Amino acid sequence: MATITAALNVGSDITDYGITINKSMTMKKADNTAGLELTTGLAKRSFAANTQVDLLTAGSGIAADVTASKAAKVYIKNVGTSATDYFTIGFGNASTSTTETVSNGDATAFQLGRLYGGDWMLIPWLAVGTTGDITIMPSNATAADPMHVEYMVFFE
Amino acid sequence: MATTTAALTITSSDLVGDALSLSTSNTLQKAGSTDGLDQTTGITRAYLTSTAAIDLFPALVEGSLAFTGKSNWVYICNKSEDATEYALITIGGINVGRLYGGDFLWMPWSMVETANADNHHGDIELAPSVDTGMWFEWTCINEGTEWHAADLAIV
Repeated sequence: MATITAALNVGSDITDYGITINKSMTMKKADNTAGLELTTGLAKRSFAANTQVDLLTAGSGIAADVTASKAAKVYIKNVGTSATDYFTIGFGNASTSTTETVSNGDATAFQLGRLYGGDWMLIPWLAVGTTGDITIMPSNATAADPMHVEYMVFFE
Repeated sequence: MATTTAALTITSSDLVGDALSLSTSNTLQKAGSTDGLDQTTGITRAYLTSTAAIDLFPALVEGSLAFTGKSNWVYICNKSEDATEYALITIGGINVGRLYGGDFLWMPWSMVETANADNHHGDIELAPSVDTGMWFEWTCINEGTEWHAADLAIV
């Protein structure tokens, strides 16, 4: 059993009263107080085309042990610096479309959001069957000027 | 123009052979811009006593694309202290994951509408695992809010 701590700090002057979020969590196993104990390590991937692909496949590849009955956390960051180029993150099965895809046509993919340069996210991952894959699609990646993402999964 | 900064630190001294320490920070900006996000729902604190799923934010109404293509960031926290109590987070009917007691998430949100005939919206839904009462907090920091007209009929 390991102890993994994630601390989020958000500060904003968006209102006259400001917004402050200071929250820390210890990543735990499902229905348990024991900590998550496995990780993919911090991975980095390069994209040279604007094609939607699976970044993480539920129950397969480096996340083979992640299943719907277990707990997992996923960290993803667009390590680029562009304010206009982004990755679209989604859930479900990736299509092979070269255009931005909200759904792949069989209701098994759905767009979550965009990560612009420097943006990051931390979410739980249920990794359910055919709709649990985490998909990714760059907005402006070419062989001459690829886009890069870093990601890490913590699981049990 | 507002400045909103989000920072994350992930640490562990015993997950791998050497200590793990990951720190990152970003400033929340409008889509395709270096201007900061300037709108927010504020931080909601809610006590839910049903396992029925709820919409956290009124994103889309039939025929109205509210925030598509805009930049939106969402924070959700399960304030329960019981490790077995969780909330299932879904978007457009697709499972994202479970937030167990004390867990939070931080993610972007596109609020798009599905292209399929099942008419799923980009709403973020939260379903508590128990009906004995669970506390939650959530907020959305965003741009370009389009407010729906009063008494708008939802089909």
